[in-house]
Amino acid sequence: MAQPKNHQLPPRIKRIWGFSALGSLVGLLVISGLLWLTYTFWDWSVWVLVFGLILTVIEPCIELGLIPYRYRFTRYQITDLAVEMQSGFIFQKRVAIPIARVQNVTLNAGPLLQWQKLTKVSIATAATSHDIEGLELPEAERLREQIMRLAQEARHDQA
Amino acid sequence: MTKPKRTHPLGLIQHIAKSIKDYWYLVIILFTNPDHDSIWFWAILVTLIGAFLIMPLAKWLTLTYMIDADAIVIHSGIFVRHHEHIPYSRIQTVQSKQWFYLKPFKLEEVLIETASHADHAPEARLAAVPITVATKIERYRKAATTTPEATVPTDDTGAVTGEVSGPHYQINTRDLVKFGLTSLIFVPFLLVLLGLYNKIPRSLTDNLIADASHVAAVLLIGGAIVIILVAWLGAFLWTLTRYYHFELTRQADNLVTAKGLFQRNTITAPLNRLQAVRIKQNILRQWLHLQTVQVLLASKAASSDDDNDLVIMPVISAPATYTTMRPFINWLPEKHPDLGKLRVPHSWYQIRNAMLLVALPVALLWWLLPSWGWLGLILLPIAALEGQYAAHNTAGNLVTPRMLGLQTGHFWTREVFYVPVTKIQSMRLKRSVWMKRTQLAHLTVNVRRGNGNQAIHLRYLSATAAHDIYTWYLEQA
Repeated sequence: MAQPKNHQLPPRIKRIWGFSALGSLVGLLVISGLLWLTYTFWDWSVWVLVFGLILTVIEPCIELGLIPYRYRFTRYQITDLAVEMQSGFIFQKRVAIPIARVQNVTLNAGPLLQWQKLTKVSIATAATSHDIEGLELPEAERLREQIMRLAQEARHDQA
Repeated sequence: MTKPKRTHPLGLIQHIAKSIKDYWYLVIILFTNPDHDSIWFWAILVTLIGAFLIMPLAKWLTLTYMIDADAIVIHSGIFVRHHEHIPYSRIQTVQSKQWFYLKPFKLEEVLIETASHADHAPEARLAAVPITVATKIERYRKAATTTPEATVPTDDTGAVTGEVSGPHYQINTRDLVKFGLTSLIFVPFLLVLLGLYNKIPRSLTDNLIADASHVAAVLLIGGAIVIILVAWLGAFLWTLTRYYHFELTRQADNLVTAKGLFQRNTITAPLNRLQAVRIKQNILRQWLHLQTVQVLLASKAASSDDDNDLVIMPVISAPATYTTMRPFINWLPEKHPDLGKLRVPHSWYQIRNAMLLVALPVALLWWLLPSWGWLGLILLPIAALEGQYAAHNTAGNLVTPRMLGLQTGHFWTREVFYVPVTKIQSMRLKRSVWMKRTQLAHLTVNVRRGNGNQAIHLRYLSATAAHDIYTWYLEQA
């Protein structure tokens, strides 16, 4: 068996996360706008609006600031037997999913991921579902083929 | 080829009962509208007749079933027709429920579940069909899952299903009473009663205390005791009727449980579909050394059992558990195994977390009700004890190279899980940077249960032991 390699996500995923932070900013701005309306027309407390504005500034900043950290510590590895994922440093998580337990693999890409030619991979077992946030399309296809082939070999119908 | 059949007309009662259960509030709306000339009154009345008579009748008329050689086929639906095909090899559980009024007619309700994630309802529900239907399904299922070369367990004598062919257990009255008395389901009843007590107007209780301050205390305590007894008795009787004449049988490769007084509930689960075995003790049963054995299934058939998991042994004395259960599930260990590998080295962290969790409500209570705030302080030592209990009861080890034994403690309930490696769907290891210094880690084992996931969390374990189990899983799987 080949020595398993510890992969990082493709670097372009950082761009996606950046846009996602921008999306949060837009969403929060809209909410703040609505809060401003409630303040002017329904006499809601001004503090609700202030709180909304503070959140609007802070949340996207944190999201942006954490991108290098998030990128650096998110890893995955695929062997003949299992898929393993790892994320976080302050709160480090490792998940092991044996390929024989995989029920289905779903490739999913929103407009942003499609634009970057990436795709999200969801690996579902009979009980849980786990995501790899972004993979190159050929890599994702290869993973799906591999899992499907191994799943057919190991078809003991466990669930 | 058989022809699609309708269920027995008595099934109509089942459909009507279900309609009443779903739309009972319409009756209340009707009674709150006493004005007989109002158009609303008649509109609601028409809806009521529709919901309670016409809909069930239409459902009954349109539901037909067929037990074929390779699948069960069910047609249903009034406006949208459903055609459901269930291959025998995909069946997780077959459940039959027999209300007492169906017994003389040799009828029962049959529910069939597969592992699909479709929520809320079984894949097939046949309201009233002859009792031969379940046996027929079982025979076909067996034929579909047994390949010629596969060796069936030795106790398979080729007997016709429906006959007792393996070990058998029937609960005796003493054990049933023990089970009922040590059940803690009276606690929710109690909380409801206490909630009602809080609704009594303050002026009334104040008057009571002022008028008869010398008897008030006696009255209050006496009242509390009566309430507890009523809740307990209610829960006891409820358990008694539900588990009346509990039976467990092993028929070839199936576990069959049957129980109930007014409604006889029989569940057949293939042994190779068991996801895990759980041995559970609430605090009362820990003192009395009694245990309950349940199995986790990929089906919601047992949704009325304790925690929605199929009970296969309501109550058994702890030392006898393994010798009694092994004839039914032969992969269980012979005696309580040593689960000492996964341990919590310091219980402090769980004590701290539990106390932090109650600290906020206590502080809030103190702030809102300064005169009563001190009562909240009682919660702190209780939380500390709960943390200590959780830490103390966390354990786990490899029972065999292919099976994991895990023990957890939550809210004074101890649970021991036995999970074969092939049924562990995924495993997660988690640690924070601070836990690196203290050499600790959390381990989560995911097992299919019902239509979802049972995550077995073991927290603040020694990191090396947790990591060993994790690598074992990666290599074994």
